[in-house]
Amino acid sequence: MALIVRQDLGLSTGKTAVQCAHAAVQCTLVARKSASRLFERWRAGGARKISLTTKDVESLHRLASAAQQANLIFHLVVDAGHTEVAPGTVTVLGIGPAPRRALDAIVGELSTL
Amino acid sequence: MGLRSFLHRITAPRPPMISVSEGVKLVCVVNQRLKMGKGKIAAQVGHASVGAFLEAGVTHPGYVEAWLGQGQKKICLKAEDETILMTLQEQALQHNIPTHLVRDAGHTQIPKGSTTVLALGPFEESELDTLTGHLKLL
Repeated sequence: MALIVRQDLGLSTGKTAVQCAHAAVQCTLVARKSASRLFERWRAGGARKISLTTKDVESLHRLASAAQQANLIFHLVVDAGHTEVAPGTVTVLGIGPAPRRALDAIVGELSTL
Repeated sequence: MGLRSFLHRITAPRPPMISVSEGVKLVCVVNQRLKMGKGKIAAQVGHASVGAFLEAGVTHPGYVEAWLGQGQKKICLKAEDETILMTLQEQALQHNIPTHLVRDAGHTQIPKGSTTVLALGPFEESELDTLTGHLKLL
């Protein structure tokens, strides 16, 4: 599972962590329901997660549509805006759990957070 | 799913569903001693949250349902070192609060087996606050 954080918002460490967790939980929920074998395999392998960065919301949307085209599980986190950012701000994109190769094809170019 | 786990799923007694009227949240306490980077912390808190809600889904299903329904409120706090995480976990167990401790596989940044994050909940906010109210936000 890849958790991709928007860099241009300048989120604090705690906020970033919470937003990533949100993406991870949502993707997990979807996977458990719609891709249970993939979900079990991912969990048995230690529920691997990697956090990556991208520069802005446009690139986040581009990655999301790439994930959609590849038929991967993904979730865009839209913040409720209680702290740090305005309501409705897209903060993090979660992709996966997905086979490593399929995921790398989409996020392979991104740098780690 | 195997046949046995399938049979177990349909025949096992369901844990009693409690109705939760109060606010429910998940608290992640990060071990500051390890000096993890931002990305590492994000991934570890992700582990903690996913682990916590999957496990609590079995032991505390009413709380998990309420938590998901209320928009999965999460907060991230910091603790000085591992001993605080351990003490909190013990206290949580006494109050029947679900916990999930993340031990890192040690692929990056820190030694294998390090205790990185403790998740408490999903549980009633007031109960969690009495346990973690003294900790600072991350």
